[in-house]
Parts: sequence; C-alpha cells; structure tokens
Amino acid sequence: MTFATIDELETALRAADYLPDRGLATSLFLSLALEKPVLLEGEAGVGKTEAAKALARALGARLIRLQCYEGLDVTHAVYEWNYPRQLLHIRAAQEGTVSEDELFGPEFLIRRPLLEAVDTDEPVVLLIDEVDRADEEFEAFLLEVLSDFQITIPELGTIKARRKPAVVLTSNRTRELHDALKRRALFHWIGHPSLQREIEIVRLRVPGIPERLAEEAAAFVRGLRGLDLAKPPGVAETIDWAQALAALGHEEIDAQVVEQTLGSVLKYREDIEAVRDETLVGLIEEARAASGR
Amino acid sequence: MAGSAIVRHVVTFGRVLREVGIEVGPGRVADAVRALGAVDVTRQEDVYFALRQTLVSRHDELELFDRAFVAWFLRGPVAPLVREKQRRKLADRIEATLGSEAGGDDAEVIGEPIELGASAHELLRAKDFAEMTAEEFERARRLLLAIARSRPRRTSRRLTSDPRGDRLDMRRLIRRSLRTGGDPVDQPWKARKDVPRKLVVLCDVSGSMDAYARALLLFLHAMVGTGRGVEAFGFGIRLTRLTRDLASRDPEAALARATASDVDWGSGTRIGASLKEFNDVYGRRALSRGAIIVIVSDGWEREGPEAVGREMARLARAAYAVVWVNPLKGNSQYQPLAGGMRAALPFIDRFLSGHNVRSLEELAAVVSGIERRHAA
Repeated sequence: MTFATIDELETALRAADYLPDRGLATSLFLSLALEKPVLLEGEAGVGKTEAAKALARALGARLIRLQCYEGLDVTHAVYEWNYPRQLLHIRAAQEGTVSEDELFGPEFLIRRPLLEAVDTDEPVVLLIDEVDRADEEFEAFLLEVLSDFQITIPELGTIKARRKPAVVLTSNRTRELHDALKRRALFHWIGHPSLQREIEIVRLRVPGIPERLAEEAAAFVRGLRGLDLAKPPGVAETIDWAQALAALGHEEIDAQVVEQTLGSVLKYREDIEAVRDETLVGLIEEARAASGR
Repeated sequence: MAGSAIVRHVVTFGRVLREVGIEVGPGRVADAVRALGAVDVTRQEDVYFALRQTLVSRHDELELFDRAFVAWFLRGPVAPLVREKQRRKLADRIEATLGSEAGGDDAEVIGEPIELGASAHELLRAKDFAEMTAEEFERARRLLLAIARSRPRRTSRRLTSDPRGDRLDMRRLIRRSLRTGGDPVDQPWKARKDVPRKLVVLCDVSGSMDAYARALLLFLHAMVGTGRGVEAFGFGIRLTRLTRDLASRDPEAALARATASDVDWGSGTRIGASLKEFNDVYGRRALSRGAIIVIVSDGWEREGPEAVGREMARLARAAYAVVWVNPLKGNSQYQPLAGGMRAALPFIDRFLSGHNVRSLEELAAVVSGIERRHAA
C-alpha cells in the first residue's frame, strides 16, 4: 500500500486506531517517500512504539520488532546457528557423511529480527525500539545494516533486501545517539498531544467511554503534567486510566474515584504523595471546568 | 514546481542554521530538497516539518530551528539567537584557564608527564589549586590528563573468545565436532569482556568553587576524552550538560564550544534544584542507572538542605555508587557542616577532597576500583 499525500497516510493511520498529529504524519510519510529510517524521540508514553505498530497496520505490512538493551549482540539481533540441532544432525549421520556446508545451511539458521526484515518478500515495518539502550558497538553495526540493507553471514554469503523495509527507530534519549546514525535518519520529536487530540485519542482507544469522562480524564492528566513530577504521565497512562475509569462504570471524575485509581496514572510513590488533598481537588475542578460543563 | 528556487531557498536556509550553530551538512540539505518535493509546499505546516525533520537531529536544537524558521520564512521578529554577552564572559575565562599555548594534544602528554625532579613533582601534586601559578597550573594540567584516563569497568554481556572463559563457543564447537563425529572433544571457550562503566560527573561551577573550577574543567575535559560513556554536567543556579561541549581532543576548541552553553559561573549554588533537574531529566532516561556518579562541590547550598537530601536519595537509588569530591575537605580543620553537605552525606559511598593533583589521583583510583556499597 502506498500513500500519495500526507492526508492519505493520516486517514490510514486513523483507520488503524492511531491519531497522529501533523508532524508525526509528515515524518512517517517522508520516511516512506524518501526511503529513509525515521528516528522518533520523546518522553516515555507519548506513543513512539505505537506509531510504528500503526504504520504497519496502515501499510498492511508485517511488523518486525527489535527491542534493544545493553549487551544486545548479533546472535540476538541478526541470526544464530541452531547448535543442538547441528550436534544431533552430526550424531544421526554416520561419521564423515556430514559436510560443513550442509551443517551451516539455511535449515540450521535461527533468524532474528534484522535478518527477518532484510530476507523477506513481504512488506515490512522494522521497529528498532529504544535504540539508545543498545551499546555503541551495536549502533555501529546497525548503521551498516541501515545503509545497505544487507547482512553477511560468513557461512552463507551476503543477503540483500529485495525491498527496503520501512524503518522506525525510537529513543528515550538515555544517551545521545551517534551522529552518523542520526544523519541516516529523519528526526521527529513527539511531544505531549494537545488537549483536544488527547480527548480524541481516549475516545478512539476506549470505545464507549462517556464523553464527559474522556474529557475530564484528559484534562486532569494534562493538569498533572503541569505539576513538578518525577515522571509526568504520557498518553499511554491517560488511556490506561480512562479504561480503568470506564470499566468501573464512572461517568465523571471526583476526588474519591481519582484517589482510588491514581496508581494507573502516576507510577512513583513520591508523585502520588505530591498529588493529594488540595492539589487533587484543584486539579479536578480545573479538569471539570476545562471539559466545559 | 519551481525546483531551482526551492533549492536556493533551502541552501540559504541551511547556511542560516549553520550560523546559529546547527550542523547542517550537504546530505541534509539534499534530503530537505527531496522532502519538499514530496509534500505540498503551499502548506506552511508541512514545509516546516519537512525541513525540521531533515535538517535537525537533536531535541535541543529544535528551539533554535524554530526561531530561525520564523525569522527566515515568516519574516517575523525574533529574539537574538546567541547571547553575546554571556559568551564573551565565558570565553575570557576559558582563555585565562588554558593560557596562550594550551593546544595540549595527547601525544606530548602520554608517557612523560613529569620532567620535574621527584620532590618538585610531589610538591606540585600536593599544592592547592587555588595557590598555583599559571606555570605550575600548566604542569598540573598534564598530570590531570594522565589521571583521568583510568576508568571504572563493568562486565559487558558481549562475549569474546577466551581460552580461560566460562562458556562454550558453540559455533566453533560444532565446527570442531565435525571432525570427531559429533563428539565435542575440543572445546573452545568464550567469556564476557570488561567494558568501561558509565561515569557521570556533576561539577559545581559556582562562585565558592571558583579557585577549583579551572582545574576541574580540565579534569572534566580529560575524563570526557577517555571515550563514550562519560557524561559531564556543570551546575550553579541550574544544570547544564557539558558532555558534547567537552567532547573533543583539543581542550581549547572544546572549551570554546562550551562557551555556547550558558553555565552560570560564579553566582551561587542551588545543589538540590540542580540535582533534581538531573534526576528529572537525565535520571528518568536512565542515565544514572548503574553509573558511578561523581559530584564535585563544596556543599554550600543557597536554599534549604531538604531538597539536597531528597534528591541525593533518588540519585543513590539509581546509581551504582556515588562519590562526592569536596575541595574544602583538603583542609584538616574542615568538617562537613554546610547544610547541603550534611544532608548529602548519608547517600555518599566515598567522600574525597579535590583540592590538588594528588587528591584527584586518589579520586581516579577510587573510581576505577569502586565497589557498590552493600549496606544502605
């Protein structure tokens, strides 16, 4: 599936249950049009990973996800040989009848995300999640893969992508990524959504939620972000919370309800303690006023 | 589409961005031109994002970009892009710090940091930074570079071939087993290798630290120069990330770049607030997790000590170990009575002085061999 304009992609993302703002839609559109990876940065919970998933749905493509962590290496990111099977195979055959070529052939290869994304004929969205968590050696390797979309396995030779996958990288900025990698990618910073958009997102993601509850919940979380918190809630938290509120059958928010469910919005004890009593009541009043009732 | 007009526009805009300090190479300009070819150029919002997403790659450059965009494309009035006054002041300082011939590349330093007699050398090592002459300071600088090279290490998850390793190298094992009919007679081993542990240095650059800030700047530069995984921050009124500014082999050029960062030299310290900013912004991004944190400060907090204690607790929870370097500790009369210092003490693994070369040597030794505290 291809998109001629940003508007078309935006519509498709909406149909895939994701409400991008114009900037994000533009970045994904350009990533497809220019065949360049896009690097999405932003606070936790603003929907970076979701964006890649939605893009895959919109494209009708398969999502292949590589979750990065410190110490991630080629055997977990690209491929590994299936050693137990290889040993069994040698054992099963009579001595001298197994050649090395046979043993290091495709049937003994375990394919990890990067190889999967390169060696396939179907359309693919490759999500390289939290790339800032991987160490620099891996980043350098990634850079190589992203520039040629080819992978070399000593025993098998070089495998080149028959079609370039769409690539989405996300980073929480635990460290600055290498300039070379950044040069290779488009860059988009995702901020918190506007109130109106967040209400829309909640309505989309929590079907059947009372309108007033959606508005008040979004406005309340927005108010929380204005406070001095260790971990301000993202859109993901708003959705979780709205889901909880809707499941409990509430039509609107009040102090008691909020206090009971605050744990799904704020994840630190210090933050929960900071939002008590007057602060809580004030925020609720503001949220109710903002929802226009 | 009026292609050449667009190209001209983008090229010129790229130049504007370079002037305000955003690195825009020809590759990026080419991408920007292609991006504009793909979007509807009559929509201002799309033009804005197409340019921003191709020309900018760092969050902290977005504000500069926005102002340049407003000034260039919308012809709007904007605030001056560079704070000239602050820049000059810091530039003067750095010049004073580095002296006229401070090109100091590494080659001249390695191996022969000491052309003095041992006793003169010892004297220099013990001399308080605050009392050094320019010439002594230059010699101290070389010592500092050598010291800063020792880095704490941690075990990586990455495996390398090692005959004394603790796990089998399966790929080789299979290959060798072929010859023996599937019996793993000959066993190759692998082991995890050591890599440098993350190191975060938070350096107080306020007025009360003035005499030591010069030396510490150099020390910081040398530390950052030891490779990736070192982060440097300056704090006074607020926190400024210096890593990028200090990341160059040439201290002069590096520190000149730090001029663009408006560290508030000499204007009192808000330790608690600065630590809070660190925890909020960088701690949340796991910069402190598993790291060795070195705080360099005299502990004179301008505001209440409660915030210092609270933020130190947060910091200590995430870090592998916390080292506090206090130049005042070099004085035998010194007791940690300053409010901020006292509040911080319970969360510190090692408390060191940092007033002379020898004490920084000790710091390097502690940092490279530090073990995590076991009791809380």
